[in-house]
Amino acid sequence: MPKRPLSQRSSVKNTILNWVNLRRFMQILALILFTAGFIGLARGSQASQTGKILIQLSPLTMLANGLSSKEFLSFTLLGLILILAAVITGRAWCGWLCPMGTILDLFGFLHPKQKKQSQPAEQLRQIKYGILVIILIAAIFGNLTLLAIDPLTLFFRSTASVIWPALDRIISAVERVLYPVPLFSDAVLWLDDLLRPVVLPVEPFFYRSTVIVFLLFASVIGLNTVAVRFWCRYLCPFGGLLGIFSKLALFRREVSSDCSSCGLCEKSCPTGTIDPNRGYASDPSECTLCLNCLQKCPRSTIQWQVKITPPLWMPYDPNRRIVLAGFAIAAIGTAVLNSEASSRRPSPTLLRPPGTIENDFLSTCIRCGACIRACPTNALQPAALEAGVSGLYTPILIPRQGYCDYSCNACGEICPVQAIPPLALEEKRTQVIGKAYIDQNICIAWADHRDCIVCEEMCPLAEKAITLEENTVNVENQPITVRLPKVDREKCIGCGICEYKCPLPSEAAIRVQNSSPMV
Amino acid sequence: MKKYNRREFLRAMLIGSGALAVNTILSACRPKIEPDQAAIPILNTPTNAPAPSAYPTDTTKPTPFSTATTPPTSYLAVARGTDPEMMVRRALASLGGMENFVPQGASVVIKPNICVAYHSYEYAATTNPWVVGALVKLAFEAGAKSVKVMDFPFGGSGEEAYRVSGIEDQVKAAGGEMVVMKALRFQEVDLPDSGKLKFTKIFDEVINSDVLINVPIAKHHGLARLTLGMKNLMGTIYNREALHQNLGVMLTDLASFLRPQLTVVDANRILMANGPTGGNLDDVKEMNTLIASPDIVAADSYAATLFGLQPEDLAYIREGAARGLGRSDLANLKIEEINVDA
Repeated sequence: MPKRPLSQRSSVKNTILNWVNLRRFMQILALILFTAGFIGLARGSQASQTGKILIQLSPLTMLANGLSSKEFLSFTLLGLILILAAVITGRAWCGWLCPMGTILDLFGFLHPKQKKQSQPAEQLRQIKYGILVIILIAAIFGNLTLLAIDPLTLFFRSTASVIWPALDRIISAVERVLYPVPLFSDAVLWLDDLLRPVVLPVEPFFYRSTVIVFLLFASVIGLNTVAVRFWCRYLCPFGGLLGIFSKLALFRREVSSDCSSCGLCEKSCPTGTIDPNRGYASDPSECTLCLNCLQKCPRSTIQWQVKITPPLWMPYDPNRRIVLAGFAIAAIGTAVLNSEASSRRPSPTLLRPPGTIENDFLSTCIRCGACIRACPTNALQPAALEAGVSGLYTPILIPRQGYCDYSCNACGEICPVQAIPPLALEEKRTQVIGKAYIDQNICIAWADHRDCIVCEEMCPLAEKAITLEENTVNVENQPITVRLPKVDREKCIGCGICEYKCPLPSEAAIRVQNSSPMV
Repeated sequence: MKKYNRREFLRAMLIGSGALAVNTILSACRPKIEPDQAAIPILNTPTNAPAPSAYPTDTTKPTPFSTATTPPTSYLAVARGTDPEMMVRRALASLGGMENFVPQGASVVIKPNICVAYHSYEYAATTNPWVVGALVKLAFEAGAKSVKVMDFPFGGSGEEAYRVSGIEDQVKAAGGEMVVMKALRFQEVDLPDSGKLKFTKIFDEVINSDVLINVPIAKHHGLARLTLGMKNLMGTIYNREALHQNLGVMLTDLASFLRPQLTVVDANRILMANGPTGGNLDDVKEMNTLIASPDIVAADSYAATLFGLQPEDLAYIREGAARGLGRSDLANLKIEEINVDA
């Protein structure tokens, strides 16, 4: 009786199928872990270290931050873990663990059916190396603007300011509809206690720049409509960095001579790196170890072996030209960004987390959004243009949206790169975020001659920065005595609770303004 | 995408509208919030009392009147000493014991002042934790089914404020429960008999509990001059900022609606300046005093004198007395002063 070919024996098929299932399982598990890490970034959470470490795993952000801030702190070393992993397994991170990669796979239904003619040009793969060079050179010049497109910062920031608040809107709406129904009351309360404040905030959160954060996130996913994992193939600088080290990957995909050139592996490859012209071999800098090819191959001609191989250089790999081009773009780009008006004078609405110094801040903040998640009062939000284009997505404090809680120092504690310094509460309370001023044209006391005093009441300082002065005015020949608020600018720390609580409907009559001298 | 034909579309619309209608009907089935009328005032008229019509004759909740109560010996009790729990016990005993306020099996809500999460209790911004703990113990001793303690801070989160103030520890030690006041549970309420506050959102537990015990700490306040019992009730509503206009009338409206059975003013430490947030130990004065009364206006009136003020100096006391919410004429009230340490 003829023996069944190796590839068709169920034992072999089962083993291959298990590897693919394992990868999918790991992808989901990693996405859950990253989401749990995100949840843990909230103030007071036991799991805040988890979230921090997950962000510190990115070699791209750690390296860029180190180059830009000229300080290599201990956490920077965490970035080496994935570099080492790339040397051993190639871009397995991309296929097994990266949360953006998993999200792109989940949105795989967007991509067109594989057609050879409609594949974008191979040379486009070089763009991600160009972006990588731009990021690193710009970092040397002190500019970290492009770190906004690191996949991990993209994930954390988008989850913090888009996905989570949107999810909260949906869950709150369901709660509000079901809670009044006596049948469901207790169940809704139980769910609410489970979710708040650990997973979702107790008071609803709103983000001014939620749409522009969403647009970036949606664009990355939307690129799937052009090709499978478009982002990972052509644009992702993180993938580019891992790709360079993957050239030395010990664990390699090999195609044996049994190959019948059926082309099934090529069709199943999400990064499109299997080349029929080279005997269906793949480029280890592009292969994300998805193992689809292994599963599809009818003859088991594909294997992963441990071998030391000289690096394979492809036409789209980084070469001198792309490095020089990247250098030029980084130099010009940094120069252009430094010509923005925000470099001369801060915008009055530019309020930073307590303890940060603006010039240092732009060169250390990795735009990850951890502080935005940690802030318990919704005060910290991703910037739009308040700090110029170079400050896009860095955290700013918007007092009308949320005040800086006098009892809190969560942002400094959570910042993975200490761009916001970790200060003890007593010291944080002395940091000046801005200075409050009163608009006497709309203040209820000053303009309407009625007592209000909410701003004075809310001021958290032991010696309040707002005092009330009794004043008598003649209104239509009647004397009216009103308590007028006045700000002591020496004492004010700009926490913004006065602006937040001012009972006027839209713009507050007391506002906090940037007061930092340009150094 | 499934293509709908007309029949399927109409079916889907019918089911959707039906679901919405059922939900609306079911939601409307919850009881409407209205002040109910129960007759008997809790305590005897004091000596030299004017006609009973000046007294509060309705309460929102049925008056707890157990046959086993000891008769009260005062309308307002003032305890002085250094042991907060003993002071609470002796003051309550003078008022006829906690059984006079908490019937068997009652659900009790205790509303201390936990307005900020900034400082520990020594800074006198939040109610003394041992006073709150003692009230929890006494409520359970009187036979309460549940005792829940809550406030809605304006600075910092509920969880943080409960912890930093020290109240959480004492309440849990006494067997009570801290409840974070979440947005979902604030119910819209009409107050048709009000002067100014016609409509607001009040935490449902406060409305639905059998007994409400109001435990403010006596503090300086920029607008109200002093924040005492009537001001403390602001922590039960969601949108407080609007009340700052016409505060006297608004607070009387709110207190007339909520009608706490018992008001205990914590004056162990009082905040003399920079209230209500505090933060400077120099602004704290140790008075070692505790005031308790079923009459919120009377309790506030007595507390005002601790700051060197007269009851009439405070707008909300004038308004409350004028509208029959309570008494501010301390000279005519039966006040028992208890020296606990003696």
